[in-house]
Amino acid sequence: MDWVFLTELAINGALTGLLYSLFAIGLVLIYKASSVPNLAQGGLTMVGAYVVLALARDVGLPLWLAIPLAVVVMFGLGFGIERVALRRLAGRPVVMILMLTLGLDIFLRGTTLAIWGGTSRSMELGVSYDPLFLGDIFVSRIHLVGAGVAVGLFVAFMLFFRTRTGIKLRAIADDYMASWSVGISVERGVGLSWALASVVAVAAGVIWGEIQGVDQALSLLLLKGLTVAVLGGLDSILGAVVAGIILGVVENVGADFLDPLVGGGSRELIVAAVLILTVMIRPHGLFGRHDIERV
Amino acid sequence: MQEKVEAQPILSMNSVEVLYDNVMLAIKGVSVQVPKGEMIALLGSNGAGKSTTLKAISGLLKAERGRISRGEITFQGTDITQALAQKRVEMGICHVIEGRRVFEHLTPDENLTAAAPSGMSRTALKVEKDKIYAYFPRLAERRNSQAGYLSGGEQQMLAIGRAMVTQPKLLMLDEPSLGLAPFLVEEIFGILQKINREEGLSVLLVEQNALAALEIVSQGYLIENGRVVMHGTAEALKSNSDIQEFYLGGGEGTDFHNVKHYSRRKRWLS
Ligand SMILES: Nc1ncnc2c1ncn2[C@@H]1O[C@H](COP(=O)(O)OP(=O)(O)OP(=O)(O)O)[C@@H](O)[C@H]1O
Ligand SMILES: [Mg+2]
Repeated sequence: MDWVFLTELAINGALTGLLYSLFAIGLVLIYKASSVPNLAQGGLTMVGAYVVLALARDVGLPLWLAIPLAVVVMFGLGFGIERVALRRLAGRPVVMILMLTLGLDIFLRGTTLAIWGGTSRSMELGVSYDPLFLGDIFVSRIHLVGAGVAVGLFVAFMLFFRTRTGIKLRAIADDYMASWSVGISVERGVGLSWALASVVAVAAGVIWGEIQGVDQALSLLLLKGLTVAVLGGLDSILGAVVAGIILGVVENVGADFLDPLVGGGSRELIVAAVLILTVMIRPHGLFGRHDIERV
Repeated sequence: MQEKVEAQPILSMNSVEVLYDNVMLAIKGVSVQVPKGEMIALLGSNGAGKSTTLKAISGLLKAERGRISRGEITFQGTDITQALAQKRVEMGICHVIEGRRVFEHLTPDENLTAAAPSGMSRTALKVEKDKIYAYFPRLAERRNSQAGYLSGGEQQMLAIGRAMVTQPKLLMLDEPSLGLAPFLVEEIFGILQKINREEGLSVLLVEQNALAALEIVSQGYLIENGRVVMHGTAEALKSNSDIQEFYLGGGEGTDFHNVKHYSRRKRWLS
């Protein structure tokens, strides 16, 4: 057993996992407010990346300006989605809202394809690809940067949910009717959660766009993001972070053992197993909240 | 039962009809007046239309696909018949909904914070919270535990405290006594009376527990089948034979919901 190699697999797995978390945090934000997994989060992430590229390449702005501008644009888009589409669905069955998010995802993918075509574009953040050695262990710099962004967002949201606005959002997540009864604008709260999730989508889109290029494939991050969100409990941001690390490590280490045996493809099998087993054995995930039952 | 002539009521509801889903007529021309600073009870059995009446006043009907199809509601002289729920809260109407729906995953302290009007400063909120904790000392003790695990009585107190943070002029409560032990009902009603006295808050109280409600209010309305069938002072209602028979127990049974429903209906509706 090569312990150094195993540690390297685990650490890089954890870093990749935190990038899944980065994506999953967006899912959790919307789930908290609307009780649906947002199937359009992949599409939003892809759009986030394209908007950054459009501002940087097509308009010619420097990246340090293009990214914050994209954040503003996407924040507005998130609010707009609530205003135009979701508000009409208030009070309808949750499955209808779920279908709406699916339709939205297809719409976003179609729109990006129509505007920017299918060829992959590169993000070019300027992060060096020279190997970075921590002792004997090699880690990827861009993964380290992305993991840092994920942890930073995690801390920011933990703080945000203690502010008055954050508390109102949590109240909305608990009970729409009671929120209305004390004058909380549920509509604005849901809009804000979509806006924040769209901002997270920019972060995820930039990092993942740098790693795998900006094209339609970015929207497929949804599958791993959903797995992480479900494992974490769907409505827990801490859960998304911990579950991301777990999935990343299990996937990376597990694939190293299994790939020689099954001849490749074991990553997908591991992700599938984690998702299916979570739903079967622990539907509330690691940190998901149970509905309180008092005796 | 003739009322004394009052100053302009804080709330006036005139011949209001409510339709759910555009077909189900839940109240059929209800008129209710709440004089400023007074406590008024709305009595009636299951399905009579009490909650619907409160929702029509607070604007929460919309969330249940209900609407006011006739009549009008004025609050402090302003027509609010079609105003948004949020606007009505800002104007000073707060509705403590049925079933003590506290924000379960928040602490009591956060429950109060969540209800703070957007313009309320940090210090004003602090003052308001201290005031509420003074009215409900039990809440103060548990202010940082999870609200979902509070006892039923504590949750009802929290629901009332949460409504008070919105700075209401009219507080409406939907069956606050439901499922609570008599001593708790007494405690909560006592606090309500104190709040009414000290804050000058007008209160519209929906209750099936007529016995307890008539002890603290000045007037009561009785709703049956979506209509007001009786209105009078608490004293007059308490001594009314129908009320005594069906709502004040008239002996052993406090479960008045289905008792002699037929004869009662006949008497009031014919
Ligand atoms: N959301 C709704 N959609 C359709 N009908 C409704 C709705 N809410 C209430 N109703 C109907 O309206 C009528 C009055 O109901 P309401 O809830 O106002 O009665 P209530 O006096 O509050 O009764 P309870 O004491 O049981 O709470 C009932 O016949 C009820 O079935
Ligand atoms: Mg009711």
